[in-house]
Amino acid sequence: MKKIGENLYLVLIFVFLFLPILVLILFSFNTSSLNIIFEGFTLHWYYDLFQNSTLLESLFNTLIVAGVSTVVSTVIGTISAYGLYKYSFKGKNIVNELLYIPVVIPEIVLGISLLSVYTLLQLELGLFTLILAHICFCIPFVIISVRSVLEGIDSHISEAASDLGASRFQIFTKIIIPMLMPGILSGAQLALTLSLDDVVISYFTAGPGANTLPLQVYSMIKTGITPDVNALITIMLCFVFVLLMVSTVVQLRRLKKEVSL
Amino acid sequence: MRNIMKISVVYCLFMAFLLSGCSKQDTKVVNVLNWSSYIPDSVIRSFEKETGIQVNYSTYSSNEECLAKVSSAKKGTYDLIFPSDYMIEIMIKREMLELLDQTQLQNVGNLDTFYLNQSFDPGNRYSLPFVMASTVIAVNRDYISDEIISYQDLLNEKYYNNITLIDDQRIIIGMALLANGYDMNTTDEEALEVAKDWLLQLKPNIKAFDSDSPKNFLVTEEADIAVLWNAEAALAYQENNNIEFIYPKEGSALSMDNFAIPKGAKHQSEAYQFIDYILRADVMKKIIESYPYKNVNQATQTLLGTDYLYNIASNIPASIIESGFYVENIGESVKLYDKLWAEIK
Amino acid sequence: MNSKKLWKFFFICPVIIYVSLLIALPLIYILLISFFQSDYYGGMISTFTIQNYIDVFDQVYISVFLKSIFIAGITTFICILISYPFVLAISHKKPRTQKILMTLVMVPFLTNSLIRMYGWLVLLRKSGVINQVLMGLGVIQEPLSLMYNMIGIIIGMVYTLLPFMILPLYSSVSTVDPYLLEASSDLGASKMKTFFKIIVPQTLPGLFNGSLMVFTPALGYFFIVDILGGGKMMILGNLIKNQFLTARNWPFGAAISIVLVLITSLVIIAYRKLGGKMEDLGGA
Repeated sequence: MKKIGENLYLVLIFVFLFLPILVLILFSFNTSSLNIIFEGFTLHWYYDLFQNSTLLESLFNTLIVAGVSTVVSTVIGTISAYGLYKYSFKGKNIVNELLYIPVVIPEIVLGISLLSVYTLLQLELGLFTLILAHICFCIPFVIISVRSVLEGIDSHISEAASDLGASRFQIFTKIIIPMLMPGILSGAQLALTLSLDDVVISYFTAGPGANTLPLQVYSMIKTGITPDVNALITIMLCFVFVLLMVSTVVQLRRLKKEVSL
Repeated sequence: MRNIMKISVVYCLFMAFLLSGCSKQDTKVVNVLNWSSYIPDSVIRSFEKETGIQVNYSTYSSNEECLAKVSSAKKGTYDLIFPSDYMIEIMIKREMLELLDQTQLQNVGNLDTFYLNQSFDPGNRYSLPFVMASTVIAVNRDYISDEIISYQDLLNEKYYNNITLIDDQRIIIGMALLANGYDMNTTDEEALEVAKDWLLQLKPNIKAFDSDSPKNFLVTEEADIAVLWNAEAALAYQENNNIEFIYPKEGSALSMDNFAIPKGAKHQSEAYQFIDYILRADVMKKIIESYPYKNVNQATQTLLGTDYLYNIASNIPASIIESGFYVENIGESVKLYDKLWAEIK
Repeated sequence: MNSKKLWKFFFICPVIIYVSLLIALPLIYILLISFFQSDYYGGMISTFTIQNYIDVFDQVYISVFLKSIFIAGITTFICILISYPFVLAISHKKPRTQKILMTLVMVPFLTNSLIRMYGWLVLLRKSGVINQVLMGLGVIQEPLSLMYNMIGIIIGMVYTLLPFMILPLYSSVSTVDPYLLEASSDLGASKMKTFFKIIVPQTLPGLFNGSLMVFTPALGYFFIVDILGGGKMMILGNLIKNQFLTARNWPFGAAISIVLVLITSLVIIAYRKLGGKMEDLGGA
C-alpha cells in the first residue's frame, strides 16, 4: 500500500515537471495556429521553422553562447579549482568568498551590475558580452564541483609521480585531470544547464546581433507565439534528451562497475 | 622550458577559441532597434535579399526602454531607432540624434506633408514620421453589450477581471487623468492623486497589463475589453469581427513614431538605405497591411484597400487626431509617475 | 621567473582576473553609483548623496519588498512541502532507478525556463488546456482563473525553482543512515515521529541549502511575474528592471539592488549560523 502511494506521488510530480513541455510538443503538431485546441496533426510548423531565419538564428546563438561559455568556464574553473587547492597566496580567502557571490546573489543584481560595467567600459553589447556574462555565473559552479572531487584525491599519487621523474605538466595532464574527470564533467553539465536555462542575466547583457532563443521567445510571448517556436522547442528538447540519456548511461555503467568492485 | 611553451600554446589556443566564438566577419550590417510588432519579418528579409545588408533587429516595448537601451549601449551600437514624438524631443535635447540628410532619401517625397514639421522636431531635422498610432477601447460584443463612450464606463463592476491595458505608465496614468478631466501631461500632484485613486478603483477590473500585444487577450477571449493601440485592435478585429472600437469622448492618447539615427551610428549609409526602402510605397503597404497603424505615406495610401481605409481602428479618423493628445516631455516629474505606477501595481 | 613560479602563475592568474573583473568590479561599481545622483533623463551625476537609500524606504517601495519576500517565502515553503516526500520516495528505490529518476528531474531544466513559462501560459489561461479538460469533464462550469493573479505567479515560481530544492535535499537524504530509520521504527516510533525526529534533523543542511537556492532567486524573477502575473504585480526584480530599463534612474536601481544584496547576505549569515557550508551551495 505504501509503495503504491509513493509511486503515485512520484508520477504526480513528474507530470507536474513535464506537463508544460509536453503540451508545447503536442501543439507543435497542431493544425491550428492558436495553441488553444488540438485540431489535427500536421508537420507544417516544422517546415515553417526552416524558413524562419530569425528563429533559427536565435537557436544558433543560444547554442554558441551555451557551448562557448561551457567550455571556457569548465577550463578556467578546473584550473582555478586546482590553483586554489594547491597554492596559497595573499587574498586567497577573499577570492574564495567572492567566488560564492554569483551562486547566491539574485541573478538580477548580477545582470544589472554587469550591464553597468559594460556601459562604463563602453563595451559593445552583443554575443561577446553575453558570453562573458554566462562565463561569469558558470565558473563558480565548476569550481565547486571540481573542488569536491579534489578534496578526495590522494596527494601521494602526484608526489610518487614526481619522484618517478614526471614533469609538472605530465602530472597535471596525465594524473590530476583524469582523477578530476567526474567533477569536471558534472561541472560542465551544470554550466551547460545554467547557460541554457538563463533568462534574467541574458536579458540585460545581450545586444544587437545576439538574439538568443529565450529573448526571442520573451518578445514573442507578448506579440503572439507561432507554433514554429513549438517545433523548435521540440527539436531542441529531443537533442538535449539524447545528450542527457547518453551521459546517464555512461554514469550508470560506472555505477555498475563500482558496485561490482 | 618546454612546459612553458606548452602552457603558452594552450593559452593561445584558448584565447583564439574565445575570440572565434565571438567575432563575426565584417559583412554589411545595420542594427535596427524598433518596437515589437512593427515591421514584418518578410519585409526585413526582402530588404536583406535586395541589398545584401544584414539586419540585426532588436525590439523594445516603451520609449523609455528605447532611450535606456541607446544610452546604456556603447555609442554607435544602434543605427536606426523609432522613438515617438516626445522621446524625439528628449533625444534632441540630449544631443543623441544625428541630423538627417534627406538628400540621401529618394522616397522622402512619398510622405504626407500633413504629418511633417511637428512641434517636437520643427523642420524634420532629426526625424521623419514612420506611422501614427492612437489608443482605442476595443470591446468584444459577443459578451459585452453595454454602451461604452467614456473611460469612466470602464469602472463598471460587471467588468471584474475583464480588462487589459497597455503596460505603459504615461499612457495609462494619462488615461486616468483624462477620465477625470485633467490634462494628460499634468505634473500637478493633486491631479495625480486623483488619477491614482481612479486607477486603484479600476484595478479589480484589470486582468493584465501588456505593452506589446493586448490583442491576444481579446482574441483568446481572456478579456473582453482592452485599451490598446489602434493597430492591435484592428488585428484583433481580423480574428473576430464582433470586436468594436470606441474612441472615448475624453480623447485618446496619440503617438507618432519616427525614424531617427542615433548619434555616432556606425552604419549610417545602411540605415539610410533601410529608411528609404521602407518609405517605398509598396514596402510601406506591406508593413501597414501587417500592422495596420495610421499610414503617413501618401504614395502608399492610394494602394491600400477598403479593408484598411474604412476601418476606424486602422485608418484613424481626422477628428480623433484633432481631439487627441500627445505625451509630452515632463522632465524631472517623470519620477512622480514612476512612483505612482509602483503604487498601482 | 622560474618554472615553479610560472606554474603557480598559470593556476592562480585566471581566477584572480575573473574574481576581480567579473565579480568585484561590477559590485563595487553598483555600490558606487547607488550613491550618485540621477539627472534628468538617465544620466548620472557623480556627487555623493544618500537620497537613493532614503527613497528606498518610502512606503511604496517597502511594500514591494514585503510582497517579494512574501512570494519568495511561500514559494520556498511549497517547494519544501513537495520535495520531502518526493526525495524520500526516490531514496527508497534501487540506486540505478534513483539515478534515472534524478536525471529525469533535470530534463525539463535543459529547456529554457522562459519556454517552460510559455508552456504554463498555454496550460493555465482561460481558454487553456487545464480549463478545457476540466470543463470537458464537467468538473467545472466556468473557467477558473489560474493565471494573471497570485496563483499563476506561485505556480511559475515553484515550478521553476523546485529542482533547486530537490537536488540538495536528495543528496542529504541519501546520507541518512537507513539503520537509524529501522531502529527508530523498531523502537515503535510512528512515521511522523521518525520523520521529524530523525529525517528532518539529519537533512537540515540540505533543507537550508535548498531554501537559500529557492528564496533568493525568487526575489528577482521578473519574467515569471510578467508572464503569469499579467504585469499587475511588482516584485523587486521588476522594480530593479524598471529603474534600469524604463525609468532610467540607475542610482535608485543600484540602491535597491544593494538593499537586495544585504537581504541576501542576512539569509546567508543565517544559513552559516545554522551550520550550513558555502561549498554545499550550487553543488548538486
